[in-house]
Amino acid sequence: MTDRTVANATCLGCGCTCDDITVVVKQDHIAEARNACALGAAWFGDGSVPAEIRVNGSAASLEQALTEAARILNGARHALVYLAGDISSETQREAVAIADRLHAAIDSLAATAAPAVLAAQRRGRAGATLGEIRQRADLVVFWAVDPSGRYPRYGSRYAVEPRGVAAPQGRQSRALVAVDVGENLGPADANGRVAIAPGDEVDGLEIMRATVQGRAVGEDARFRPAVELARRMTGARYVVIVADGEPGLTLVDPARAEALVTLAQALNGPTRCALSTLRGGGNRSGADAVLTWQTGFPFAVDFARGYPSYQPQAGAATLLGGGDVDAALVVGTPATLPVSVATGLARVRSVVIGARASAATFQPAVTIDTGLAGVHEGGTAFRMDDVPLPLRPALEAPHGALVTVRALRERLRT
Amino acid sequence: MTQPARLRITGGTVYDPANGVDGVVRDVCIEGDQIVAKVPVSAPRLDARGMVVMPGGVDMHAHVAGSSVNHARRLLPEEHAADPLTAPRLEDGAVARSGTGGTVPSTFATGYRYAGLGYTTVMEAAVAPLAARHAHAELDDTPIIDAGFFVLLGNDDYLLRQLAAGEGARARDYVAWLLGTTRGYAIKIVNPGGVAVWKGGGDRRNVSGLDDTLGSSAVTPRKILDALAGAANQLKLPHPVHIHCNNLGQPGNSATTLESMNALSGQRAHFTHLQFHSYGGAPGKGWASAARAVIEYVNAHAEVSVDVGQVMFGSATTVTADSPVEHLLYASSGRKWVNVDIELESGCGIVPYSYKEKAAVAALQWSVGLELFLLANDPWRVVLSTDHPNGGTFLSYPELIRLLMDRGYRDDRLKAVNQKLLVGSALLDGLAREYTLGEIAIVTRAGPARLLGLKNKGHLAPGADADVTIYANDADRAKMFATPRYVIKAGSLVVEDGQLRRAPAGRRLAVRPEYDAAVTTDVKRFFDQYACVAFENYGAALP
Repeated sequence: MTDRTVANATCLGCGCTCDDITVVVKQDHIAEARNACALGAAWFGDGSVPAEIRVNGSAASLEQALTEAARILNGARHALVYLAGDISSETQREAVAIADRLHAAIDSLAATAAPAVLAAQRRGRAGATLGEIRQRADLVVFWAVDPSGRYPRYGSRYAVEPRGVAAPQGRQSRALVAVDVGENLGPADANGRVAIAPGDEVDGLEIMRATVQGRAVGEDARFRPAVELARRMTGARYVVIVADGEPGLTLVDPARAEALVTLAQALNGPTRCALSTLRGGGNRSGADAVLTWQTGFPFAVDFARGYPSYQPQAGAATLLGGGDVDAALVVGTPATLPVSVATGLARVRSVVIGARASAATFQPAVTIDTGLAGVHEGGTAFRMDDVPLPLRPALEAPHGALVTVRALRERLRT
Repeated sequence: MTQPARLRITGGTVYDPANGVDGVVRDVCIEGDQIVAKVPVSAPRLDARGMVVMPGGVDMHAHVAGSSVNHARRLLPEEHAADPLTAPRLEDGAVARSGTGGTVPSTFATGYRYAGLGYTTVMEAAVAPLAARHAHAELDDTPIIDAGFFVLLGNDDYLLRQLAAGEGARARDYVAWLLGTTRGYAIKIVNPGGVAVWKGGGDRRNVSGLDDTLGSSAVTPRKILDALAGAANQLKLPHPVHIHCNNLGQPGNSATTLESMNALSGQRAHFTHLQFHSYGGAPGKGWASAARAVIEYVNAHAEVSVDVGQVMFGSATTVTADSPVEHLLYASSGRKWVNVDIELESGCGIVPYSYKEKAAVAALQWSVGLELFLLANDPWRVVLSTDHPNGGTFLSYPELIRLLMDRGYRDDRLKAVNQKLLVGSALLDGLAREYTLGEIAIVTRAGPARLLGLKNKGHLAPGADADVTIYANDADRAKMFATPRYVIKAGSLVVEDGQLRRAPAGRRLAVRPEYDAAVTTDVKRFFDQYACVAFENYGAALP
């Protein structure tokens, strides 16, 4: 194939889902992913993926692999379908259809942000799309997160640097405050810092909310900086609180997510506020969106009774660990799987359809290597703020994930 | 090639008001996906003797697909858990899908339930252009119904800039481009200017009337209304501008509603969920019905059309681009609340809600909607809607039809509701009117199809889409309209003996108005300056 460049390609390296990447292809390999950060460059790589098909470890034809995959899934008492990373929402839709047909359980990478999703289900959201943060924010509070680590271009594309309609000077139009919670530090270059002990975090958020609502708060010196921050937020024009929805190295109080939502909501009394919950890449937000529109629930759905039921306390890792499922279909890149899910998959017969499926460490019975959505395959992906974006493949792979999953679906029992 | 499927529906009592047919026993013939004048005698027959035959229902204003609706779904796991649907068993070997219901059902459930109700065309009423791709994906997963969506434009930053700069022609070209690139169907205005003010932060929360200014510019809600109504008419869009007025849900808002109608006097315009905009009284000083004054204006102005947005008692979910209103509802109800500010375009607000007969305001809202229906002179311009799921779900349409057709039932229900705010309500004076079946056929299919400019919908003349609903006649009109015996969509018998039998994909309804392509250069410049989605990745245009 000829050398070429693909402009406005979308990167799934993290939830920022930057859609300004220029992919330069030389000699059928990606020579450069221009504009991409280090995470993005690693995600695109050189675009080479294996193209193997294996059944029980041996090379097989696509036909043999699909036949065996269908046999395993049709024979399962209760199967699990897992939506891993790097697949398009079109492929996700097909995979949910498979789970529905098999009366299987289905879960996805979106479950990694379960505390934030559950908090939003209990309380709602005070949110904004990332571009609106860019347009409006005059005070950005980074709550125990420095996005430059896991979301490298969040600052340059959305919340910090760019000029917006109400932030004509970009960075200079905004004040940044870092809230450091134990080891989880905000950005080093913030204009101000507030330190909160991990054990005080949820109480601190509640006291801030009380302050915003004009309720009396105690004079506890520990919370004085938090109270002052709350007053400052109340006086801003448009506040954005940035928090990480994905798990970190330290355990977080499960009540934190809800306290962040209610603080952000309360701030919309005296001023405007949006909570920006950072979510990981691989189009996991697409998995959340698709499952929600097809079933009414965002993750951890079980079709065992012939209809979707929501089992947020019994996601994939729990089902696998408890022996509640006896076969699994993983769609997407196995390397994106949470460790607990990958470990559990070793206990059941599994089928993997996705990029680098053959590299799965849990010894699947069937693996079909496909391309990566966004590199070898088109379709739609959702940004962490639910904004849909097209995928612009620069390369071709021998097997597309969408057509392969569709072919499998057609072989399943009805 | 196989012969196109033919069918003769025999002996039914046909209501086809667009063609002047009001309860006449006659056959309706179908070939392929169209109504035809006749089919050979040998064609299969469907015996509809004693039954009522109408065109398929047309819902011109509902919230069924897209990012806001999906936020609402995500917010309602309890409702979904309480209303599960197993996959229907289809006749043609196709595999149907399971789902969940509640006030905001899953996509497949939405399609099946609309079809089960005899509705075959639905318009999603509010899609932010940024999320158009999402709305299409959901509609792809919403079977049976033909669907399109309205594109939110009344708070769009680029558009407001053109209006501020006096660039009317460019504003119009932008609208045309945007409708094409999103594959939308019509222009939607929600609280013109108000959402932009809400998003701007600081002290101002909303606009309060037609002449409030936005920022330092000379842009006002009046100017937005006028520009977009003009754009729709100049672009010869099939449906005129679809307007959700300022001050939704506020006591005394009928003044704003009438002023908005007056502002567009002489221009075609559709005013949506009029019930929510027809209140007397004043903020902080109580509520009253102003339905009579508002509907009398509509009666006297042939260029105005409306849908009612009836409130029905029971569960609802308020979901709207009118985010400042949702903040008020959140603050007053204490329920859970979603707000999403959508970059440079629009907003989204959601609060689950329930309308209780014993609540004074809910009873007033219920009464105002019925007054609008019963005082309307021209059913062709007054469409049945509940602003699903805002005033109630589409599943409550049969109950609403009964309220319109059965005075005794209506009066009984009226006695059971809170009377506190009903002083001055025309309903309390004893409105005797009962809608006829012919009028119901107008307000649920022929009228909305005509107002949407859907030439092949809402009627049964040769050339029309073969979308037909057949009801077993029943004195209990709620029962009759809740469970049609047969529903035919594009010639396919989707409901048979009250059971869903087939679930073909629906078609997409979209417009592609012409425009001066120079506008895209300017829009691209704006994107490069402010947007965080590439111009080339925006919209949902098919390659």
